[in-house]
Amino acid sequence: MAVSAVHLESDAFLVCMNHALSTEKEEVMGLCIGEVDTNRIVHIHSVIILRRSDKRKDRVEISPEQLSAASTEAEISFNFTHRLAEMTGRPVRVVGWYHSHPHITVWPSHVDVRTQAMYQMMDQGFVGLIFSCFIEDKNTKTGRVLYTCFQSVQAQKGSEYERIEIPIHVVPHEAIGKVCLESAVELPRILCQEEQDTYRRIHSLTHLDPITKIHNGSVFTKNLCSQMSAVSGPLLQWLEDRLEQNKQSIVELQKEKERLIQELASL
Amino acid sequence: MAASISGYTFSSVCYHSANSNSDHEGFLLGEVRQEETLSISDSQISSSEFLHIVEVHNHEPCAQLFSFYDYAGKVNEENLNRILKDRRKNVIGWYRFRRNTQQQMSFREQVIHKQLTNILGIPDLVFLLFSFISTANSSTHALEYVLFRPNRRYNQRISLSIPNLGNTSQQEYKVSSVPNTSKNYASVIKEHGAEFFDKDGVIKDIRAIFQVYSALQDKVQAVCAEVDQSERVKEKIQEEVKKLKEEISLRKRITAAEERRHQESLNTENHSLQDDSALSDSSSPPSLTRVLLQSPPLEVSLDWPPNSTALPLYPAAPAPPPAPPSAILLPRPQAVGSPGHPSPGLGLGNGDGSSSDSLNRQAIGQEDQLEEEEEEEDEDEDSSEYENLVSERLQSPSLTDTAVSLGRPAALWPDGDTHSSGGSS
Repeated sequence: MAVSAVHLESDAFLVCMNHALSTEKEEVMGLCIGEVDTNRIVHIHSVIILRRSDKRKDRVEISPEQLSAASTEAEISFNFTHRLAEMTGRPVRVVGWYHSHPHITVWPSHVDVRTQAMYQMMDQGFVGLIFSCFIEDKNTKTGRVLYTCFQSVQAQKGSEYERIEIPIHVVPHEAIGKVCLESAVELPRILCQEEQDTYRRIHSLTHLDPITKIHNGSVFTKNLCSQMSAVSGPLLQWLEDRLEQNKQSIVELQKEKERLIQELASL
Repeated sequence: MAASISGYTFSSVCYHSANSNSDHEGFLLGEVRQEETLSISDSQISSSEFLHIVEVHNHEPCAQLFSFYDYAGKVNEENLNRILKDRRKNVIGWYRFRRNTQQQMSFREQVIHKQLTNILGIPDLVFLLFSFISTANSSTHALEYVLFRPNRRYNQRISLSIPNLGNTSQQEYKVSSVPNTSKNYASVIKEHGAEFFDKDGVIKDIRAIFQVYSALQDKVQAVCAEVDQSERVKEKIQEEVKKLKEEISLRKRITAAEERRHQESLNTENHSLQDDSALSDSSSPPSLTRVLLQSPPLEVSLDWPPNSTALPLYPAAPAPPPAPPSAILLPRPQAVGSPGHPSPGLGLGNGDGSSSDSLNRQAIGQEDQLEEEEEEEDEDEDSSEYENLVSERLQSPSLTDTAVSLGRPAALWPDGDTHSSGGSS
């Protein structure tokens, strides 16, 4: 087996959860960034939120060419190989992908398994993560969020691909990394970008009458408002709360540090 | 009755829980509103219903377990105030995260809940329970959550929704206009519709709303930068505190070792002195005095009850610092952060919400356990995530056997209390 386990750092896990919970009507996806160690354990320490080329509810995939282009773009646009490696002091590359399954089972579909198999042709150690959310058992009023990790394997030459399960552990990471924070705040920007692109395509249609144009303009306004109230707003609130929590923690930690210094001096 | 929590708050609770290798708890802040809904039915022209809406705005995580209550479950109001400070008035409930336990309030949680209700003066205090289970090979994990209203007799569970973007599909854009050959129509909408367009033919609203979005995103970036800075500062101080603690414990160990060596060297001296004194009475009294002075510590240690543990043998050595509650809880086999070897099986909880360590339960097999739970709770379910987990968890029997033999150390209780048979906390 090319991969023995996946260690997902908790701040990267946080960003994945944020992303997966951002919409229940469509599948979202992103890339996992990290490294593979000599024990064939994949360490994921950050994620990149991706724009979907095909915004269909039931499918989220990008072709291997697009994936490779996206990774390169991501690596170049964020200047990863230089900046990120510098920041984290670790080698970085794209090691896997994640996507969400809102309202549906966490297991990968046939399409997912085939997509994963394609990615594995480029990179044997590539892993797939799926987050299933917005599941509720009406009887017990129990909500569920699930996550799984898998790779694909061909049982015999020429036969269908099957999934194989890969152990995944969320590893504690007390502070939220800079890259994770930056990825998290990319979401509203990506959503707005997608909306602008769609609107531009519509706007370029010249045969529309003024009423229709006004209508389309309102749709854009409505969608952007939705994004702001459902994503940007709560995101900003969470950031402010986190800042407040950190400030308090810092005060308490300072006190503890002083106490310890005194204790050390007395020994 | 409806309840909601933002995806960011929910993820944040998951994040804090993932970072703790024990149970995790905290407070829910927000507000409870009443909304009136009017409805018209065949029998009544208008009937209004009052809907209680519980909105969770954010959470206040507790750094440790037992931070506002003790082992007997008695809530300490002073500690509570210290944790909550001025956020006390925004509290609407509290939450707990546990691993491998049943979706029921434990006895201690119920006791604490009653006290919190009285102390905080919130008659309808809610309790959000998160429980985490995994498959035997740790490839799939489930986080379940239930919101309870324990102070009510009926309908104690409330649906918790996570508001989100919903439908972002851009199918609402019209790609063509409704065909219309009326010249009047065309001229009227052109003339009066011009209001909406600026000189470039762009809808004015678009620019306006984009400004709002831009300003908001700039603010998000700015606060994000501040958060990032605070995270680095926090990280640095945490590192310093850790180093100081290590240094202190190192110094203490060195001091203790030195003391021991000192004592040992004195003992050997004493023995040789005693031999000398036996031979001649005129041996120096000061040495005999010294022997007498030195021996009490040894005698004291001998008098101590044989099963006392962790008591310093040499009073001169400093007492070890009291262990923080989290140190008492041993890491679970399935604690997040465990390395990539398969974890032993799942023990599902006892009725009191604490984890089961009964080997019998594990020997029966997790599937049966789960199926029992299925029957109790999900009788009418069509497709259960549990069923999938069950079918996927039919791993090689050897894993289950390993689970039985490894079992769980008896000291592993989610609440950190010592194990007693019967298990009620």
